[in-house]
Amino acid sequence: MSALLSLHDVTMRFGGLTAVNGVEFAVQEGQIYSLIGPNGAGKTTIFNLISAVLRPTNGRILFDGRDLTKVPTHTLAHLGIARTFQNLAVFKHETVVNNLLVGMHAHLRTDPISAALFFGRARREEIRARERVEEIIDFLEIADIRDHVVGTLSYGQQKKVELGRALAVQPRLLLLDEMVSGMNQEEREDIARFILDLKDELGMTVLMVEHDMGIVMDISDRVCVVNHGRRIAEGTPDEVSVDPAVIEAYLGSKRGAA
Amino acid sequence: MRTGHYKERWSQYVALSDNPTVWAWVAALLAALLIAPVVLDGYSTTLLVSALIAVVGAVGLNVLTGTTGLISLGQAGFLAVGAYTNGVLLVDHHWPVWATLPASGVVAAAVSLVVGIPSLRLKGLYLAITTLAFSFIINHVILYTESVTHGPNGIFVNGAKILGFDVQRGAPLYYLVLGVAVLSVLTALNLARTRIGRAWMAIRDHDVAARVMGIDLVRYKLLAFMVSSFIVGVAGALISLQIRFINIDVFALILSIEAIAFLILGGLGSIGGAILGAIFLSFLPEMIRLAFAMLGGSTASLLGNYLFEIRGMAYGVVIVVFLRWVPDGLIGLWRDIRTYWSNWPLAY
Repeated sequence: MSALLSLHDVTMRFGGLTAVNGVEFAVQEGQIYSLIGPNGAGKTTIFNLISAVLRPTNGRILFDGRDLTKVPTHTLAHLGIARTFQNLAVFKHETVVNNLLVGMHAHLRTDPISAALFFGRARREEIRARERVEEIIDFLEIADIRDHVVGTLSYGQQKKVELGRALAVQPRLLLLDEMVSGMNQEEREDIARFILDLKDELGMTVLMVEHDMGIVMDISDRVCVVNHGRRIAEGTPDEVSVDPAVIEAYLGSKRGAA
Repeated sequence: MRTGHYKERWSQYVALSDNPTVWAWVAALLAALLIAPVVLDGYSTTLLVSALIAVVGAVGLNVLTGTTGLISLGQAGFLAVGAYTNGVLLVDHHWPVWATLPASGVVAAAVSLVVGIPSLRLKGLYLAITTLAFSFIINHVILYTESVTHGPNGIFVNGAKILGFDVQRGAPLYYLVLGVAVLSVLTALNLARTRIGRAWMAIRDHDVAARVMGIDLVRYKLLAFMVSSFIVGVAGALISLQIRFINIDVFALILSIEAIAFLILGGLGSIGGAILGAIFLSFLPEMIRLAFAMLGGSTASLLGNYLFEIRGMAYGVVIVVFLRWVPDGLIGLWRDIRTYWSNWPLAY
């Protein structure tokens, strides 16, 4: 089985600061893969590199054989990669439905002229998109807030909308950046269930950055631990949870020198 | 409360409105607009023509500033390009008016690329300054390319005929402007409900997220510039038809400010708001005139002496009042009233 996504010696420097230092890992198709580490470890930077929002100083990021460090950001959705953001990045003046429809952008073809006339193909395409979006709304159980303006919703609901928007891309690889932060226990369990459903029913590959160890240990197939921009451990949840380097990164060394 | 309204087909979701009541009101409004020149006197018709041209301009600017979030103070420049294209083609090249109107839009759209491409990385105030500078450049270009634009002499725009009707005065002008206004509103509404309109609003609300969702910022920002300028260019052409003599003084900076005021007053980002704002501000001077006339005597003559000053001050006051107390504009006010009455007498 070849990896769907693989990072090879990826390094990112911001001026004098090395945020990511020679990180390597590989995500297999159909896996739930977690990226964990203490605050400031470089997890979100790695996400920004994978989603081509940032360009690495060094290294290669291969997705399905293609080097993501060389493609423009806006082609990612077309390649089949979608992501959510650590801090909300919803379109807050628009309705939930319109937010999700933006996720469909890469799958629609309407050109300006036919859009202006809204006739024939443009109309049929909109109807189809709307049907697809309603399926996602049902899946995420957000039908009751469908027509609400996103800016007026609670934090947890907005996170769900962002997840829905990423699903509307119909990606092969879904990147979730701290999906459950700021959610209550019930919402967290919902999200964990959704992620498992995505893997089991749609065969989606999920790469997530997560601080909630409960979720990470429960649903991940593999976990990569980074600290100070370096990979310090990689393996199954059981393996990394007893790894001395990981325990030291989270709790400090026995002598209390840290 | 409106109840018993169910969606039974997917197509109902993408319709502008699947509510018969809404369509009945739209039909009534259109019928009223159609018989207006028959019922109204010449002066009122002229006022209505000005208001409808303002609607076209506001709907055009709304594409760029309201939907895509790119603030433009170059409205006067694009109006000038449209008006001069129309004037030059009509008078010097004897093109028929049905060809000069779209041509005005096309030329304005092409010119918008000149300001659009260098402004791609700019947002907010910086873009506003760039577009402002652009409108001054346009003024100077028009002034100094005398061989084409007649420079400081201006152009007497005449000879615009469609099917033998002189579309520069009275009812024929009114119907032409009404037709263009309806077309531009429809175009704007249609674009807003497709991936193109959604891409624009995505860029406005969060450009990084928009890019990750597969939206090419360069392409869609330039498209917003072009569509907006096309509509504004046509509005400029209509202005030249109505006022019949154009020179650069017609397209002063105040026009750009007025256009922004239309949007703020109506409610930024909404097509309905742009329409309401344009109509309200177009009739504001008339309302002031009536108010002064009612006060009578010396106050009425005050207005006669200081018409422009009072008008300018009234614009300023209205903008300040709206920004402070009605930030969602007229359309927001309308939504509040509608929500209140649809639930009345219950609180919610």
